[in-house]
Amino acid sequence: MTDAVTSTAQRAAARPAPVAEPLAHKLAAQALSLAEQAAAQSDALSAWRQAALAQLAALPFPSKKTEQWKYTSLMALDAGHLTAQAPDQAPSQTLPEPLAPWRLVLINGRYHAELSQLPPQGVTLTRLDGSAEAPLEAPLSVAEDGLRTPFAWLNSAALQDGLLLTVADGVALDAPIEVLLLGSAEAASHCHTRLRLQLGAGSRATLIERYIGQGPVLTNAVTELVTGDNSDLVHYRLQAEAADTLHIGSLILVPGRDSRATSFQLMQGNALRRNDVRVLMAHSGASASLNGIFVGRGNTHTDNQICIEHRVPHAVSDQLFKGMAGDKARLVFNGRIHIFAGAKGTNAELSNKNLLLSPGAEVDTKPELEIYNDDVKCSHGTTCGQLDAQALFYLRSRGIAEPEAKRMLAFGFVNELLAALPDAAVAEWARPWLESALTEAAQA
Amino acid sequence: MLEIKDLRASVAGQDILKGLNLSVKAGEVHAIMGPNGSGKSTLTNVLSGRDGYEITGGQALFDGRDVSELDPEQRAHAGMFLAFQYPVEIPGVSNLEFLKASLEATRKAQGKEPWDAVTLLKKARETCKQVDLDPQFLKRGVNEGFSGGEKKRNEIMQMLLLEPRLALLDETDSGLDIDALQVVARGVNSLRSPDRAIVLVTHYQRLLDYIVPDHVHVLAGGRILKSGGKELALELEQKGYGWLTDQEDVPA
Repeated sequence: MTDAVTSTAQRAAARPAPVAEPLAHKLAAQALSLAEQAAAQSDALSAWRQAALAQLAALPFPSKKTEQWKYTSLMALDAGHLTAQAPDQAPSQTLPEPLAPWRLVLINGRYHAELSQLPPQGVTLTRLDGSAEAPLEAPLSVAEDGLRTPFAWLNSAALQDGLLLTVADGVALDAPIEVLLLGSAEAASHCHTRLRLQLGAGSRATLIERYIGQGPVLTNAVTELVTGDNSDLVHYRLQAEAADTLHIGSLILVPGRDSRATSFQLMQGNALRRNDVRVLMAHSGASASLNGIFVGRGNTHTDNQICIEHRVPHAVSDQLFKGMAGDKARLVFNGRIHIFAGAKGTNAELSNKNLLLSPGAEVDTKPELEIYNDDVKCSHGTTCGQLDAQALFYLRSRGIAEPEAKRMLAFGFVNELLAALPDAAVAEWARPWLESALTEAAQA
Repeated sequence: MLEIKDLRASVAGQDILKGLNLSVKAGEVHAIMGPNGSGKSTLTNVLSGRDGYEITGGQALFDGRDVSELDPEQRAHAGMFLAFQYPVEIPGVSNLEFLKASLEATRKAQGKEPWDAVTLLKKARETCKQVDLDPQFLKRGVNEGFSGGEKKRNEIMQMLLLEPRLALLDETDSGLDIDALQVVARGVNSLRSPDRAIVLVTHYQRLLDYIVPDHVHVLAGGRILKSGGKELALELEQKGYGWLTDQEDVPA
């Protein structure tokens, strides 16, 4: 059990001044070079890219001395991923069966209309490829205030293609929209994926983001979810890429007034996986529920940094994340709840439970609370344990062989999350996915 | 069926069983009684293969095979069943899923016809009724939130479905009210047959009013001190264990 309550002052004192390490310096130069090349283009996205470039240039690039990157090394990127773009190509594999009637396909960040089924009336699809006639506003009041990681800024600064989905006021979709993001390359390279969903007031939608692919490609993903007043959003982020891929993802969720947002993130570890999730509770009456299952396999690395900011009174958030690490895998979890002064009546819960499936696996988990208000309910807990030996013996004594017994216990550990998946198509996808993720995790 | 010869076993370096002999033949019901700390649970745990119980001497043969060479699951496949004194709660794994995995693996290993999902559900529901458990329990996590009596009845249900040839019941009667005790006893009695054997480990004579044993043994200090017929249990009930264990103080 690790509990931590940290004040801003302590945090500032504890954080060493950023010193550019050789690797961080090199990666920063590569990122800036990408951004500068892209900024030279003149099209509808120019303003957007310029603004992001300025931020990128000003922000220190993460190094091992950066607190939020303490457990995650970017050494894997030394192979030059940021110097080469993943090829713009047709799919290198047969696409998996869709999980929804409407599916939009991105390959290495590029939208492929010929592979996509457009969403129905009431949903507008805008391509973020610079082809719009009028300049696209640098989005969102939340942008400046939203994703603050260098990789998110790099994504904006180097943006070539992406999707903006707008669901009109009062539209209730009766089936999910799936966005399939395939990342694939033979050599070390990168792609930027960009996805933004705006839900109108009183609307209802389900978005499935599904990442697949293989090869030494770094997917630098940004997803923005902004929902309207009294809307309902169900969001899935399924990260099922092969173990040799790299993924740095940023997700921001801003639920509207009196709205409900539920997110499920299911992921398996790969060569490098880093997710920064930011939730801004900026409208009263909003509720956000974040859930996740993380499975570490082989030598993989998975780092999840979740931050929920309660800025206004009477918003509710809960988080339930469960991790399982097998073989020599490493899971990092940092769950931060920041309750602003004046955010009275906040209710925020955080739970992160982890299971070590092998002696070589490692889990680093930390809840972080910053609370500047008395009138709040806030609970947090993190645990890390092993499979229950008593339960294992019980199953074996009933004739169930050890590997199967372990598999059953692992499934049992996350069953409450699997059972809570609201969409049948995703629930049906999740079980075999978990089955194969656990099989890989069990291989030592 | 079960031959235990001069069995010695230790837990955490402490000798608990100190030369135990017991012979159980097909068709027999044996009751093993004894005071707290006499080694009763150690015996069932050693027989079922729980980690941490080390055989330091002698052997236990099941159908002529040394059980120490078998994994817990192999013992189950061979036809052994242990009804736990403290059945384990496994949240997130439903009873039905558990029964399915258990029966699939065991029946396959035993060369029996597999049960399809419909048959399994039907049998499980019937057996639930037999032990007075609401079939809704099948959907719940294994033993999750079950009362003490429900857990014990769940053990009996598993036993009835698995049809073991040797059933070891570790204080299955403890903590049961009289109704639940009768349910458990009925379940055990329905399993009695010429090709099966049952070993009941118990503190109390009470259970033996409902499951009448062929043999009663008194276990104390890690050895069988006395064996007899069902009347021995009544004698113990009246006199306690003192008259036997006092004799034991005299070096044998």
